[in-house]
Order: sequence, then structure tokens, then C-alpha cells
Amino acid sequence: MFSTHKNKVLILSGTILSIIFINWACSKVDTDYTAPETEWLTGGSQTFFDGGNGAFGHAFNGMTAAQDKVHEIGDLVFEATFVSSPAPKNPGLGPLFNNVSCNSCHIGDGRSKIIGSDNSIATLFRVSLPGTNEHGEPLPVPGFGHQIQTSATAGKVREAIVRIAYTEKQFKLDDGTPYSLRYPTYSVENAYINFPSNALLSPRSAQPVFGLGLLDAIDEATILGFAAAQAKANDGISGRANYVWDAQKQKTVLGKYGWKANQPSLLQQVAAAFNQDIGITTPYFPVENSYGQPQHELYSNQPEITDSLLHAVEFYIRSLGVPGRRNATNTDVVAGKKIFVNIGCASCHIPAVRTKVNVAFPAVSNQLIQPYTDLLLHDMGEDLADNRPDFLASGREWRTQPLWGIGLTQRVNGHTQYLHDGRARNLTEAIMWHGGEAEKARNQFKALSATERNQIIKFLESL
Amino acid sequence: MKRNLLKFATICLASSLALTSCDKDNDNDVDINTLKSEVLENTAKNVIEFSYSEMLAKVNTFKTSIADLVASPTDAKLTTARNNWKEVRAVWEKTEAWLFGAVATEDIDPRIDTWPVDFNEIDQLLASSTVLDAAYFTRLDQALESSDEDIVDAANAMRGFHPIEYILWGEDGTKTAAKLATETRAKQYLVALVDNLQNLTKEVYESWSNGYSNQVAKAGNGSTEFATQKGAFIEIVEAMAGICGEVGEGKMGEPFNNQDPALEESPFSKNSMADFTNNIEGIMNIYQGKFGSRDGKGLEDFVQYYNKSLDLEIKAKHTAAINALKAITNPFGTALLASNSQSTLVQNAINRINELAEVLNDGTDGNGKDLKDFILQYSN
Repeated sequence: MFSTHKNKVLILSGTILSIIFINWACSKVDTDYTAPETEWLTGGSQTFFDGGNGAFGHAFNGMTAAQDKVHEIGDLVFEATFVSSPAPKNPGLGPLFNNVSCNSCHIGDGRSKIIGSDNSIATLFRVSLPGTNEHGEPLPVPGFGHQIQTSATAGKVREAIVRIAYTEKQFKLDDGTPYSLRYPTYSVENAYINFPSNALLSPRSAQPVFGLGLLDAIDEATILGFAAAQAKANDGISGRANYVWDAQKQKTVLGKYGWKANQPSLLQQVAAAFNQDIGITTPYFPVENSYGQPQHELYSNQPEITDSLLHAVEFYIRSLGVPGRRNATNTDVVAGKKIFVNIGCASCHIPAVRTKVNVAFPAVSNQLIQPYTDLLLHDMGEDLADNRPDFLASGREWRTQPLWGIGLTQRVNGHTQYLHDGRARNLTEAIMWHGGEAEKARNQFKALSATERNQIIKFLESL
Repeated sequence: MKRNLLKFATICLASSLALTSCDKDNDNDVDINTLKSEVLENTAKNVIEFSYSEMLAKVNTFKTSIADLVASPTDAKLTTARNNWKEVRAVWEKTEAWLFGAVATEDIDPRIDTWPVDFNEIDQLLASSTVLDAAYFTRLDQALESSDEDIVDAANAMRGFHPIEYILWGEDGTKTAAKLATETRAKQYLVALVDNLQNLTKEVYESWSNGYSNQVAKAGNGSTEFATQKGAFIEIVEAMAGICGEVGEGKMGEPFNNQDPALEESPFSKNSMADFTNNIEGIMNIYQGKFGSRDGKGLEDFVQYYNKSLDLEIKAKHTAAINALKAITNPFGTALLASNSQSTLVQNAINRINELAEVLNDGTDGNGKDLKDFILQYSN
């Protein structure tokens, strides 16, 4: 009996020691960026080593059977093609919409199609009138709402189309290497009623939807800590949080999602996308996007998908893991990361972040992740500006886009178009579009040797 | 996406240790590195690329029969057209066991095979004065460039296999040639749909013949898409396991779990059971490196080199799944109902397909139990 008791004590103290050791080992952040073992684990324990077409589509590890099931149900709805009512399967499309399913924009849980081949559905356009409502939200455009729906069901008139035109401009890097950027201009055409000339227009490509549960698990204090550290450093980088209206909580909260950090929660993000993009009403947003317009029909106003299915889709994107690194220990990649840090990219594209403890959902709890974002808004300069404020985000501010998985865009989506409207045709162009707070880092990149630039690109491709 | 059921462990590095004890010396004279390259080349060229060329050939025949049918509809011509549709469909369903490359990245799958059909949109379109030809679908693709206000926008849900099926069979499967003869607009639409199907098939075929085949064949050896052979092998295995999940959980599981025949795919032609069987057959096509008249080195040769029991297990589970599907003789929409005596056979088929998925990829990397682990261990 005694010895058993002693064994228990030994096992217990052993366990405590290993917990302490593990905590100590996990608490080290790799300040030298020397590519230790954790370099590979972009999404902490939710990292998946699949560099193929399905790289963005892996369900979290370690979920309960019930959670796995909800994820699967959400996956089916995410892929479901909606059709016009009445119909036996997936009715409710429109009457105004941009696309017919979630995954026809978020292809392979990734980015939208290449702009230009299918452009009416590759990018959507937020619209507003100058000014805000009592919640700080942009004002809807009468007759158009918050977004231009470029499609309508039979018998209805779509709101408008948006034409994209590009002007090429030639530039040179410091070593004389030429590069070219294409400057987009957008014009609303064939509008069903007059589109006000003072209306503001903001293009938004569909973003990858993986890793969002981990970003959601980043504590608000951590994000505000990044802003405080940037303010303290006083080196021209001054990220700030967006605060946006949460329709469920009926109050203003920190925004994390969307190109301008303009969505307060994953649930609202999903419900808004159903409503605005597909014309599907939910208990969260039970009124059609066409409300108040001639395309509206009263009967179509009831929730077209149930609360449980809405939550299943929210859980689906919440529980998609992150692709692991490739070639993280390659010499050029390691060198590229060092330069990335040294020239200041990592001030906003923060490499390592720890999620908060969440006993209710261990899959995302206390994970060291490498999202390469601070989730803060930054002034990105005049060239990238959409000049359309969104809550606190000014017309020049955009949220730092996470870089994890960026090297797999070609494999998953068959193209390398980046930034909020896909104007950058490769990583170098994406970097060279950076202005405003990022101008200093951009200019340092511009001054690098070809070898060093190539190392940064290789590093980005390994993410 | 479809691979959600297949959870992956995080530590793939550990997999290199996991199966060492099973590693047997091989006494035949095959050079394994040559073999692996041969497998990739044969899989790309004689299975995948060839399958799309076969599909294109069947589409061409189908198109001829449709032209013949709409010129002067007879019941015999309608039957021929329906049979030809089923033949195209059979090849396509097999190719769904390798849904990667352009078919995924260029979003071709949703355009060629979207389910459900948007009846209301089709009915409205047929009632409109929009000119229905191949250019109509090009305009759908490029709706933004078009200033055509007549264009109907539910682009993906109105084309591909199922709208064609809807017109050829009718909603209740009782369409006659005499009825079709009176449907002038539907006939125009049918011709345009088949043109569009031909264009999409060409697009997939040419993406492989003009480069992607070589990308797979030269994986790890100059390929810009696949830096390693392992990457290409994993893509193949994920696709094989992916179609199991799609059939077991989605195409069969969803209507069965909801007890709702309205959720069935290919309901007009009552072709669903053939669809499911061809999906699962495709897995063995790519595993064995055989398609139609072509036969070469396949994954099976690679697997047999190191692990004959895994090879036998994959084949046994595949046979069990196929047999379970073939045991269902009622149309799927009837068989799935709990009141039907064949509903237990539907459950059995779903179970066998799930077991096949497990031996291809059980969701845990490094435990040495499935084909994916085999690839992680034995390819570079």
C-alpha cells in the first residue's frame, strides 16, 4: 500500500515537473528566428502538412465526435449551391446576390478566382454614402444598401455591374530591376437606378477562411498590446484597433475579421456573408439585402437557413486548421526570414502570437501560432486607399493580412493575386504596393540585392 | 473542403520512424526510384490525362446524338442520347477520384457538375427571349464584360450534367420524344448546354495535356508545381480518400441521414447508384494505373514493393465497397427510405465506403495504418 502511494506521489511530481518543463519550453519565443522545431508548426497543434489543393481544408485535431460532426455539417452547407425558391434542395437564393455558394468565392477554403477571368464574382464591392449612423457604421446607399449585388434571380433586376480597368505603370528597384504595377479603376455601370455620384466604393476579394478559430482565440489584450508596443517604438508604425458594431451583443466591440477588421465575430461575418453575398436570410440577419428596393419580395423574408445550420458554418470556419511550413530550414528561407524581420516587415506581420487559454475549446487553447499579423489597422498609403471609411478604419487604413498559407495560394487557387482586390500579381508586387506606415520597410526591400529579395520571397513561399 | 473528415496529425516528421519495423528487404530487381517515377508518369498520362481524353471522345459522340435528336426527335434517338449521357457521366464520375489540378483550381467541377438544378431559373430562361447558344455561357462567365441586361445570373446552377439530365428525362423521368419536339426553347438550351459541356471538358483535358501531366510526372525532378514526389503522391492519395468522403458522407450520407429523396443527385435519370459505383471504381483505376485500354505502373506496384499486406487490404476493402454498392438494386431515392428493405444495404454500403476511406487515410499521420502513411514513409 505504502509503495503504491509513493509511486503515486512520484508519478504526480513527475507530471508536475513535466508540465512545468513543457510550459517553460513552450513559453520561449524564438527571438533569433533561427527556425527551431516550432517554425514548422504555423498553427500550433492545429498545423497540417498537406501542400496540395486541399491544404486549407483540414478540420482541427482533437475535437469531440460531436464537434467533428458539426464541422462536417458546416462543410456541406459551405459547399451547398443555393437555388431560387421554391425548390426541394437549398432554396432561398437572392433575389439579389453575388454568388450561389460560399465555396464558389472561397475556392478550396482559399481566395477567390483570378480577377479578370470571372470578374463579376471574383471581387465584391462595398458601397456607402459619406458619414456614419449612430453605431459608427457606414451609411447605406439608397437603392443599393451596403454592397452591390451584381446578380439577381430570374425576373429581378441586378443592381449594377462594376467594371475594372487597369493602368500599368513602370518602376525600377534600386538595383535597376524593372517592375510594373497595375492601378485599378472601378466604375459602376448599368445601374438599375442612378448610382449616386458621391457614393464610396470599396473592392473586397474573398479571403482564405482557415485558421480563423485561432485568430479568434487571440486575446484582445494581446492585440492592444501590439498597438501599445508599436506606439512606444515610435518608428512610424502605429497600428490601431477597429471598434465595430456587434449586432448580437448590441454594442461596439473590437473588430478582427475582414479586410478592414470591420466584423466583430465569426458568427456575424458568416451571417453577413450569407445575407449580402448569397441573399440567404438567417435568424441573425432575417431581412433580405433587397429590403426597401423594388427587387424585394415579402415572402422571401423568413430565415432561409436555420440557426443551427448558420452556427454549423460558423463552426466549420472556426475549426479549419493551418497549413504547415515547407522548407522552413532551407538556408535561403532562414535568411529570408531574418531580412523580413530586419527591414521591419515583422513589426506588423508579427510572426509568433500565443492564443489565450480556453478550457471550453482546447483545440485553440494556449497555442503558439505564427499568423504573421497584428490584426491592427495601418495606414497603407494613398495608392492602396479605397477612400471609404469603415467604422474607425479610414480610407487609407487596412488590417494587416495574415501571411500564413500565402505560399500555397498557387497550389490551392491556381493564381498568385494578392491584396484586397487582387491587384498584385505576385509577392514582389504585393510588397511594392505597401505605402504609408509600411513605406519605410517597402523602401528597404526595394534597396535589397536580388539575392536578398529572392530570399524574402522564398521565405514567404514557405509560409 | 471534402477532406474535412480526414484529420491529420500534426507530427508528420514522426512518421518516418513509425513503420521502420515493417520495412522489408526486397529481393526483386526493381529499382524503386525508377518505379516511383514510372508510377507518377503513368498515373498522370495514362490514367488522368487519358481519362479526360476518353471523356472528350464520349462528349463528342453525345453531341452528335443530341444534334440528331433535336433535328427530328424520336423515342429511339432520345434513348440513344440518354445512353450517351450516361456514358459521358460514367467517365466523369470515375475522374472524380482525381479532383485536383485545373478541375479544382479553375473551378471547373462546380461548372460541370453542380447540384441541385435551379428549375425556376431554367423555366424563366426558357420563357425569355435570351438567345441560347454556347456564347450565352461564355457571357455567363464574363458577366461583367457584358452589358446584356437579359443575362440570367445563376450561372453555375444552370449548366453541366444535371440541367441536361433535366431536359432529357423531365422532372419525373417520363419525357417523351413527342413532348421534347414541342419544346423549341428547351431544345436550343440543350444544344447550348452540350456545347458548354464540350468546352469545359476540353478545358480540363488541355490543362493536363498542355502541362499538368508533366508537372505530376516530373514531381521532385524539375516540376514547378510539385517540389517533391511525396507532394504529388499525397495529392493523389488525398483525392482518392476525398471521393470516399464525398460519396459516403455527402452524396449517400446526406439524403440517407435526412431520409429525404429530394436531396438525391441525378434523380431524373435514376442514375445515382451508377454514379456512386463509378466514383469508387475510379479509386481502383488510379491505384492500379489502369484506365480503359491503358495499363501501366500504378500506386499498387509501389505499395507492393514494400508492403504487400497493405496492398491486399486496400483491394479487399475496395471490393467490399463495390459489392455493397452493387447489392443495392432499387433506385437510390427509393432504397434509402427506412421503410424500404434495401435501406440496410444503403447503410452497409456507406459503412464499407467509410472503411475504404480509413485504409486510404485514417486522419492520423504517422500511425502506419494507411496509404497516406505509406507515402509519407516511402517517398521523398
